Amino acid sequence: MLEVDHLAIERDGTLLQYQLSVATGEILAIQGRSGVGKSTLLSALAGFVAPCQGDMRWQGQSLLGLPAEQRPVSMLFQDHNLFEHLSVRENLQLGFSGKAPAEALNAASVALQVSDLLDKKPPTLSGGQRQRIAIIRTLLRPEPIVLLDEPFAELDPSTRQLATSWTLHSARAQQKTVLLVTHQQEDVTRLADRAIELG
Amino acid sequence: MRNVLNRMTVLLSGLTLAGTVQSADLTVYTYDSFISEWGPGPQLEKAFEQHCQCDIEFIGVEDGVSILNRLRIEGERTKADVILGIDDALMEETRATGLITEHQQDLSPLKAELNWQDPQFVPVDYGYFAFIYDSRKISQPVTSLKALVESDARVLYQDPRTSTPGQGLMMWMKAVYGEQSSQGWQQLAGHTVTVTKGWWEAYSMFLKGSADYVLSYTTSPAYHQLNEQTSHYKAAPFSEGHIAQVELAAVTRTSQNPVLARRFVSFLTSDEAQRIIPVTNWMLPVRDNVELPPAFDQLMQPTRIGFSASEMADQRKGWLREWRNAAAL
Amino acid sequence: MILSRLKHHSDTVAGLTSLAAMVLISVAAFYGLIGFSGQGADWQLLSDNYYQSILLFSIKQAALSMLLALLLAWPVARALYYGRLPFQHSFLSLCILCFVMPTLVLITGLVALLGRDGLLTPLLGESWNLYGLNGILIAHIYLNLPFAVRVLLQALHNIPDLSWKLAVQLKFSPWQRLRLIELPALRGAFLQLSGFIFVLCFNSFAVVLALGGGPRATTLEVAIYQALKYDFNIPEALTLAWSQLLIAGALFLLIARAGRSNWLAVDTLSHQFTPQPGLFSQWGHRAVYLLSWLGMLLPMLALIPGLYQSDLSRFSLSALVQPTLTSLVLALVSASTAITLAWLMLIPIRQARLQQHNRRAMVLEWLSTHSLVAPAMVISVGLYILLLPHFDLDHHGIWLVLLLNCALVVPYAVQQLRPRLLQYDAQYQHLSQNLKLSRRQRWWVEWPFIKPTFISTFALILLLALGDVAIISIFGSDDWTTLPLLIYSYAGSYRIAEASLASLLLLLICALIVWAFERARHHA
Repeated sequence: MLEVDHLAIERDGTLLQYQLSVATGEILAIQGRSGVGKSTLLSALAGFVAPCQGDMRWQGQSLLGLPAEQRPVSMLFQDHNLFEHLSVRENLQLGFSGKAPAEALNAASVALQVSDLLDKKPPTLSGGQRQRIAIIRTLLRPEPIVLLDEPFAELDPSTRQLATSWTLHSARAQQKTVLLVTHQQEDVTRLADRAIELG
Repeated sequence: MRNVLNRMTVLLSGLTLAGTVQSADLTVYTYDSFISEWGPGPQLEKAFEQHCQCDIEFIGVEDGVSILNRLRIEGERTKADVILGIDDALMEETRATGLITEHQQDLSPLKAELNWQDPQFVPVDYGYFAFIYDSRKISQPVTSLKALVESDARVLYQDPRTSTPGQGLMMWMKAVYGEQSSQGWQQLAGHTVTVTKGWWEAYSMFLKGSADYVLSYTTSPAYHQLNEQTSHYKAAPFSEGHIAQVELAAVTRTSQNPVLARRFVSFLTSDEAQRIIPVTNWMLPVRDNVELPPAFDQLMQPTRIGFSASEMADQRKGWLREWRNAAAL
Repeated sequence: MILSRLKHHSDTVAGLTSLAAMVLISVAAFYGLIGFSGQGADWQLLSDNYYQSILLFSIKQAALSMLLALLLAWPVARALYYGRLPFQHSFLSLCILCFVMPTLVLITGLVALLGRDGLLTPLLGESWNLYGLNGILIAHIYLNLPFAVRVLLQALHNIPDLSWKLAVQLKFSPWQRLRLIELPALRGAFLQLSGFIFVLCFNSFAVVLALGGGPRATTLEVAIYQALKYDFNIPEALTLAWSQLLIAGALFLLIARAGRSNWLAVDTLSHQFTPQPGLFSQWGHRAVYLLSWLGMLLPMLALIPGLYQSDLSRFSLSALVQPTLTSLVLALVSASTAITLAWLMLIPIRQARLQQHNRRAMVLEWLSTHSLVAPAMVISVGLYILLLPHFDLDHHGIWLVLLLNCALVVPYAVQQLRPRLLQYDAQYQHLSQNLKLSRRQRWWVEWPFIKPTFISTFALILLLALGDVAIISIFGSDDWTTLPLLIYSYAGSYRIAEASLASLLLLLICALIVWAFERARHHA
């Protein structure tokens, strides 16, 4: 279980407060208007923002003492998910402690229709293509907690459907605990077990 | 090529070997153009080593003043047995370091013109400062320093703070103008092309045609005659007389080998050495009747004016300040 | 976990140690001077007319050089950006060559071109005199304008296509484009360049010494040299040195505070669209471009006639082999050491930036580049005085030369590498932390990103180290001679033609290095 317990974060002079818990294997959608602190919460869980009060626990163990490099978290950022100077294939192979799971990666890229982009470099790709590649890596990494910050924002309706169903399938198969920030009600209905509104 | 590789090895392993280098029997501090491959150093070294069956080492620093500065920095720990190339204008400051001992030389073979009696410093060569011009461009050169200052001819000279000829001109102006030298400097500044850091900057600019007159030595025409077979560069004789520069050698008090050091100083004034120095260092020999190429016979014979070394030492700071203020305005 | 923290920690320690070593060099140099004279600075000098006139002149010429270089560089950069002109790559390589051109070579070229009997002098009228402010400004502009062109052009290239498309959509007038798109993009670059060029010119030594023309045109750095030379007046030298350090250092800090946002240039940009200038501007761009080519090439070409002035029959080329090799080895070792040090010193700086400790980052940045503003003359003479009694500098002075060369080029390496590394951090730090990249992986990811910058930085400092002579002339010895030192000693013995030849050789080597590294960078 992932618990966010009386967590308070200071941002630009205002205090953001969070209180929630997510069961292991649950997919939680987080909604709320812009600026309410959705991304900040994800950043705090991933270890990029230090809270001023409260605690975050994963399976009963506090995450606070761990630096970003050691948290059990795989995160999809709003942008800068790919190294622009490395090929797509090289990008996909990063983030695995041992050898990258070649078969799973291949299957995923076929499923998300990016398999013929593997030898290209990111600057030549469209926003939607980049996003699908980043989703693949984020979900396939061995971390139990997955944080997705507006993962489908740049996708057209048909690829969006493809991506959400792949994400759902992949998360369930690996028992991932997922926090999903989104503005789209359809993402919530398709993907989430539960949704909360911040703010 | 092998030699080059050796040097590279030395270069890269130098630090570790620092303690193991064998020092020479005699270490001589001098200025670096003296020991460049076309300067007198290599020939003198060869000749003297044949006499003494010993190993001498020249260490070249930038110029005469740097020899003095180096002695000041090193003090009692100096490696030098002999210093060579300080001129008479710096003699008193060098003496004041307390690092120079008596040379114990017989000074009688020296030219009477030098009138030399100092117990610590021995002259090795000397020269007169003069303004050089190109006779293809100037048919009627100026005949006095005053005429040059009052003319509108373009003049190049060297900074008295950083070069010996510059110091020479400072004495020259003082000797000719006395109390009025400040006005003289200001007048000269009106048609000075530039004041250079050292001798060669000025001289090479002159050769490229940057000025009508450049401050150098009376011996400069001899260089052009002997090496380039050209005779249009001439030194202008000035009616007020010329300032001399006498280059000196001396033995240090801290020398571990004073006997050999004195022998080397004695060698420097010998006929053999005096035949080498003029045609490599482009200065005049300090002995009479030294056999030299005919170009040296054609040089002008100026009258000597100027100040004693101790006057120079006392006045330098004040004169420099005067020049600095007059020429800067 | 502890292990990885330790590794992290050891990087920081290495960085801070390098930084401390650099600072120690400067402190030791000042200590050497103060300790030897037993006196501090002579503050009475501050009220001396001469001191005030030097100070004013130093500031005046540096400000003018900076303004002119920037004002002239701007149209050239625009011409390159809009112009689609032939041979742009060669032009940009030539720009580097100009920036690193050994001052000795440049001065010879300028005198041949604009001196009393220079090739262009007849066009300049009777009253023309190269020496003094004229010559100083021309040389400073020649050295710095091409560098400014490269930086400004880069800033223009960082304008996203989208901005231009938007501008066209909104039917901006040329003036609006300039004001709303170009100027904001260039603001940071202008600020940084003005500080950088001002400091370089403020501390200028060789150019002012050669072209200044005496006490009328003296900078603090030259005055330090003069005070140490005949008078051996250490208190006076110290006063001048502190003044220089204070003014240049404060200015540098100010600029660092003001212009620190322009490194956030993200790499995702593609460049397919820039607005087409009108026919009139196109011809303007071509004219500016052609003039810049001429301006940069002429002083180099002017060296060639010098070769014919006297015969070279008695000259053997082999005399050049050993000095050339020494110069190359010396430069290679200095540059490699300097770039390693710079890389290490940037580690704590990057960490401080990431942790938003901006004040600490700024202090560290200042310290890492402080030898750019510290008087080089004091550093070399101070160390010389300190080491001479304990260390055989006649035979092993080359190590000191290495050290000094290295200390003087480190700031350039830091300045070149820093924006790229900070850009990397800003863009990818969170991603690489989240991906839990190992040390080896981090290096593998970072290296291709930084490689082009690394290569051009290395080339730049290699060239600077190759041409550096200000220091060596103090320590030169019979055992080893470098090419610049050889040029001095030829020229010092009436051998002008040989000096021209050696200058051309040095220039040629620099040109070859520029060419080779630019090629390597484009293939990287």
